[in-house]
This record gives sequence, structure tokens and C-alpha cells, in this order.
Amino acid sequence: MRSNAVGWLLLAPTIVILAIFGIMPFVYVLYVAFHQWNPFGANPLMIYNNGDNFRRLVFDQEFLTSIAFTLKFAFFAVASEIVLGYLLAQLFMKEFPGKGFFRTIHTLPLIVAPIVVGSVWRLMTTPSIGIIPYLLKSWFGIDMNIGRDANVAFALTVIMDIWHWTPLVTLTLLAALVSLPKEPFEQAQIDGANRWQIFWHITLPMIRPAILATVFIRLMDALRTVDEVWMLTGGGPGAATRYVGLHIWKLVFPKTDYGYGSAVSVIVLYLTLVMCWLLYVGLVARRDQKRTA
Amino acid sequence: MDRQIDLDEADEEAAAVAARPARQGFLPIVTNWFDRVFVGIYLFVALELLWMRFLEQSIPLTVCHVLALALGVLIVWKG
Repeated sequence: MRSNAVGWLLLAPTIVILAIFGIMPFVYVLYVAFHQWNPFGANPLMIYNNGDNFRRLVFDQEFLTSIAFTLKFAFFAVASEIVLGYLLAQLFMKEFPGKGFFRTIHTLPLIVAPIVVGSVWRLMTTPSIGIIPYLLKSWFGIDMNIGRDANVAFALTVIMDIWHWTPLVTLTLLAALVSLPKEPFEQAQIDGANRWQIFWHITLPMIRPAILATVFIRLMDALRTVDEVWMLTGGGPGAATRYVGLHIWKLVFPKTDYGYGSAVSVIVLYLTLVMCWLLYVGLVARRDQKRTA
Repeated sequence: MDRQIDLDEADEEAAAVAARPARQGFLPIVTNWFDRVFVGIYLFVALELLWMRFLEQSIPLTVCHVLALALGVLIVWKG
């Protein structure tokens, strides 16, 4: 039996950091979620309320609506990013003049802080001063007002997310595509497979782990998006873009309802885990099982 | 380090340890005990929330606790 002492010693810093910054805060949030706690209210003490926060959230129409909007946002944003990211990665696999320059420019949104992205997009879309409403009005006669039209506000939050995060997907998928061996593609070409068959039967199965990892990362990010949307629309008009992260922020900071905010946070974490697990089971576990059967 | 590690042997050992507890129960995938505990917790939480939303007015939540725990045990044991 090999000694694992060295392994545990090397892992120790990571485990300690994870415990302090990941597990302990989670346990604390879970603890707070079972209490009524408004530290700035008339009674600042934490009072155990027997799961009433969870009882409240299953009837909270605002929370349920924000979950529905968040799922819609995550679906459109992540699906578009994966498709666009894959197409751009395929483009970067080919040689063309100015490829290095274009690749650098394309990656720049990644280094911009989300709050700055939100500010820039707000400036670009504000009806009186923004370039996008101006161009839409002068070219197509479309009167775009992000503060009045819920569908436009929703679409803009999705487009902003796509603009910001597609480069991440491109880089991940590009790394996967570059690392693929050439032989299966050459064999498929010799066998007379067309481009679609090569994509469907060779490329896609071989980069599936990379796609899945990217979907997980982007899905988790999309489900907890706050700052960009807060800056662009502030959750409006009405509650059309009040995604669940923004809803939690409003509960915890302006309303200082820490107990209920924690309960909502725990449920959002739960939903994220369930969705990722279902994706994993649907796309990896069952397929691997069929292959070994 | 006084002795060299044989990476192939380490891989085989790790694969054997990881593969041993995996099994096929009534769940539609091959699972180990951690997967089943995970699924049990998912279902426990989902059942509690749904019960609070739709049934708690007529049937107390304690019934749900018992049912959810029983389901969790069943999944860990036979899943």
C-alpha cells in the first residue's frame, strides 16, 4: 500500500483555502437561510424560523418569475455563445491574412470587467445619446427604447452577454480543435465523408468534453449574472430583466433581508447543481454507458 | 524521494479503486455511493419544496420528511 502522506501534504493548501473561502461561507449561508435576520432592522438578532424562508420563496411570485427569466436568459445566451464560439474557433483553424490581429481583438472583451461592459452598453443604448438607437432610427426608422420595451431590454442583455463571453468559448473550443489528431479526419476524407458527416461523427464527439466543460462554466456564470445587467437595465423595465442574481442582490442589500436572501441563494445553487448534473448525465454518463454495454 | 513511483501501476490502482463501488441499480446510470447520496439530496430538497408549495396546507411537512428520507435510503441502497 503506497503512502498518501505526500499527496495530502501537497493538496493541503488547496483544501485549506477551499474550506475557508468556499465551504465555510456556504455552511454559514445555509445556517442564515434558516433564520430571520435583518441586522439593520428593529430586531437585529438572528431568529430561527423553522424553514419559513423556504416556505416563503415557493410562493414568492417575484422569485419564481426571476427564475423563469434567468433560465430563458441562460438558454439563449449559452446556446448562442456555443454556436458562435464554435464557428469562430473553426475560422481560427484556417489561415488568413491578419489572423493574429483579429484573434487578439476578438479576445479583448474577456479582459473587460463586467461592470464596465454594462456601463459601455448602457451608454451605447441610452435613447438620447446612444449610438445604437441613433443608427437604428436613422437607417431603419426603428425607435428603440430600452427603458420601455421589455423584449428589447431582454434581447440586449443576451447580446451583451454573448459579446462579452463568446471569446472564452472560442478559445476553449479552439484549444480542443487544435489538439485533435489528424488521422481520423484523413481516413474519413478517404472514405468519402462529406463535411457535415465529418463534423457530426468525428469532430463533435471528439470535442464533446470541451463543449460540456464550457457549457458548465457558462451556464453557472449566466445563472448568477448581476453586475452587467444591473448596470445596463437595473432589472427593468418592470421586472423584465430582473434575473435571479439581481433579485438576490435587491433582497440582501437594499432590503437587508439576509435570511431570505440566503435561502434564495441556496436554492439557486441547488438549481445550478441539478441542471449541471442533468446535463452531465444526459450528455456524458448515459452515452459512455451505452458505449461500454 | 527515496523511491520512484510507477505511474502505470498508480493509474491501474486508481482505476481499480474508482471502479469497484460503481454499480447499476434502478437508476438509469451506473453510480457509486457518492452519486446516489447526491441524487438522494436533490430529490429530498425537491420533494420538500414541492410539498411546501402544494400539500403542506393539508398534510404536515413531517410526512414529507419521512417519505423523503425513505426515498433517500432506497436510492442509496438500491439505486
